[in-house]
Amino acid sequence: MKSVKSTITKLSLVVVAMYGFSYALVPIYDTFCEITGLNGKTNEVAYTGSDIEKENRFIKIKFISNVANSAPLYFEPAVTEMTVQVGKPYNTHYVMKNNSTKQLHTTASPSVTPGKFAEYFKKIECFCFNQQTIDSGEVKDLGIQFVVDNDLPTNIGDIVLSYTMFDITNKVVEADKL
Amino acid sequence: MSTNIDHIKEEHHHQPSGLMRWITTTNHKDIGSLYLWFSLLMFFVGGFMALIIRAELFQPGLQLVVPGFFNQMTTMHALIMIFGALMPAFVGLANWQLPMMIGAPDMALPRLNNWSFWILPFAFTMLLSTLFFQGGGPAAGWTLYPPLSLQGGNSMPFVIFSLHLLGASSILGAINVIATILNMRAPGMTLMKMPIFVWTWLITAFLLIAAMPVLAGAITMLLTDRFYGTSFFTAAGGGDPVLFQHIFWFFGHPEVYILILPAFGIISTIIPAFSRKKLFGYDSMVYATASIALLSFIVWAHHMFTVGMPLAGEIFFMFTTMLIAVPTGVKVFNWVATMWRGSMTFETPMLFSLAFIILFTIGGFSGLMLAITPADFQYHDTYFVVAHFHYVLVPGAIFAVIAAVYYWLPKWTGKMYNETLGKVHFWMTTVFVNITFFPMHFVGLAGMPRRIPDYAVQFTDFNMIASIGAFGFGLSQLLFVYILFKTLRQPVTAADKSWEGAEGLEWTLPSPAPYHSFDTPPKVD
Repeated sequence: MKSVKSTITKLSLVVVAMYGFSYALVPIYDTFCEITGLNGKTNEVAYTGSDIEKENRFIKIKFISNVANSAPLYFEPAVTEMTVQVGKPYNTHYVMKNNSTKQLHTTASPSVTPGKFAEYFKKIECFCFNQQTIDSGEVKDLGIQFVVDNDLPTNIGDIVLSYTMFDITNKVVEADKL
Repeated sequence: MSTNIDHIKEEHHHQPSGLMRWITTTNHKDIGSLYLWFSLLMFFVGGFMALIIRAELFQPGLQLVVPGFFNQMTTMHALIMIFGALMPAFVGLANWQLPMMIGAPDMALPRLNNWSFWILPFAFTMLLSTLFFQGGGPAAGWTLYPPLSLQGGNSMPFVIFSLHLLGASSILGAINVIATILNMRAPGMTLMKMPIFVWTWLITAFLLIAAMPVLAGAITMLLTDRFYGTSFFTAAGGGDPVLFQHIFWFFGHPEVYILILPAFGIISTIIPAFSRKKLFGYDSMVYATASIALLSFIVWAHHMFTVGMPLAGEIFFMFTTMLIAVPTGVKVFNWVATMWRGSMTFETPMLFSLAFIILFTIGGFSGLMLAITPADFQYHDTYFVVAHFHYVLVPGAIFAVIAAVYYWLPKWTGKMYNETLGKVHFWMTTVFVNITFFPMHFVGLAGMPRRIPDYAVQFTDFNMIASIGAFGFGLSQLLFVYILFKTLRQPVTAADKSWEGAEGLEWTLPSPAPYHSFDTPPKVD
C-alpha cells in the first residue's frame, strides 16, 4: 500500500499546484496584456521621463467618458477632441458633478483604443492615478497632462482615450469602518 | 495487497443493515449504486427545470414564469445536469466497473470513496435551497460571469460553497480512481492491456485533478471580490471581468471533456461486444484520448472569441480547436471500422451506442462550425450554441450512460431487462431528442439569442416543435425508470457472461457480481 500513498501524495501536490496556478493566472494575464498592449491599459503611475522629442507630426486624440452602473454623476470631457503635436505635452480636463445628496468617493479607469497604441500615450499627470472625493452638488475639474511618444508608428488613424468613472463610496466607507 | 483484502472481509461481517448500511458503506458497488441513483434523481430534477424553460418558450411572450425565475432555471438546469447528473453518473460507473475490470477487490481508498459520495447530497441541498431564498437562486448563468454574478442576490456565496464541495468531491473521486488504476491492477495487466473504459477514466481523472482546482480558484476570487474587497474582476478597483472568463474556461474546456471521455470509453466497450470483433485500433484510441485531453488545455478562449482578442489569439485558438477534430475523427473512424464486417446484433445498448456515434458526430460538426472565428461572431450566444452542446451532451454523454446501464445491468443485478421495452425506450428517446434539439440549429442560425425568456415571433414554429420534443423526451425517461424497477423485481436469471460478444474480466465473475469483486487477483495474459 506504500505505492498508493505515494500516488496520493503526488496527486495532492498537483491539486495544490493547480489551485495556485489559478491565482498565478492573474499576474500572467496582466503581464501578457502589458506586453501585447491588449486591453488598452495605459501607464498606472505618472510618466516622468524626458527623452521624448518634439516631432513635426500631428495626431487627433478623441476623449470619451462613461459612468459605470448608472452612478449619480455627471462626467464628461471638457473638449471632445484635440489635434496634438507628437512629443509635445498637453493639458486638458474632464468635468465631474455629483448629482446625489451625499458625498461620494469615485475612481476612474482609463483605456486607449486601438489598444496596441496605448503604450505611446504617456500620462504625465492624471486624475486616474488617485481616487476622488466629491461633495453633494459639487463640480470638479479633473486634469490630465499627457504626451504622445515619438516612437508612435506613422500612418495610424485617431486615438481614443476613454475613462469610466466608478462610484466606490460603499467600498471606501466599509474600509474606513474596519 | 492481502492485508487490504482481509480488512475488507472483516468489515463484511460487521456490515450494518438498513439505512446505516448505505451511509457507512465502503464497498465500491454500494457506492457505485448510490452515485447512479443520485445521478438519476438529479437528472429528473434538472430535466424538470428544462421543461419549465421549454414550456415558457412554447410561444413568444411571457406566459408561465417571470424572467428572473427563467434565468434561475437556465442557470440551475446547467449546474444540476453537469455536476449532479452527468459527473456522478460517470463516477458511479467507474466505481462499479473499474475494480471488476482490472481484477481488484475494491477501490484503493474505500473510506475516501464513501466521503466523496456523501458530500454530494449536502452540496445539492444547499444549491437547490437557494431557489427558496428571498431574491431566488443564481441567475447569471452557470458560467457565473462577473460583473453580473457579483451583482446577484444572497444566493451567491451558497452557490460558490456548494461548487467548492462538488469540486472537492470530484477531486477526491479522481484521486481514488487514479490510485486504484495505477496500483491495483491484476498481475499481467499492463497499461496497454487495460480495458479502454479504464483508460478513458484514468485520463478523465487526471483532467479532473488539473481542472477542478482552477474552478475552485476562480470562484474563490469571485467570493473575495464580493465580500472581502479584492478587485480581481471588479473594474472599479483595477480588475478585469474578462480575466474571469479566461480562468473559468481554462477549467471549463477540460470540464466538457471530463463529461465526454468516459462516454467514449463506454462506446468503445459496447461497439466491439455487439459487433463480435475486437476494438479496431486500441492503441490509437488510447493516444487519441490522451491527445484530446492535452489539447483541451490550450483551446479555452474559443468560448470567448467575441471579447476582443487580438487577431493572433483568435487564429491560434481557432486552429488548436480544429485540431481536436483529428483525434476525435480517429475515434469515430475506429468505431466504424470495428463494426465493419462484424456480426452485428442490435440490442438496446448497441442501439444507444450507434445513435451516439451518429448524433455525437453531428454535435462535433456544429462544434467545428463554431470553431471558425469569423462565423462564431454570428453564432455566439445564440441557440446554435445551445443545439451544439446539447447534441454532444444529451445524445452524446447521456446516451452513453444509458447504454452502459443497459449493458452492465445484468452483471450488476443478475437480471436481464425487457428487450422490447428497452427498444421502445431507445426509439422514443432518439426521436424526441432530435425533435427537441435539431430545430434549435435553425433558430440559432436565424439569430435567436440563448438565455432569453421571450423571442421574436418568427421563431415560434421551431420553438413549439422543440418544446413538444422536450416533453416527449422527458416522458420517455419515465419509461426508463419503469424498465429499471421492473428488472429489479425479476428473479435472478442472467448468465455470467450476459452478452455473447462481451469481453473483459467483469464477465468472468458470477451475475450478480459478488460483493467483493476479486478476492484473489485473476491472471491476465
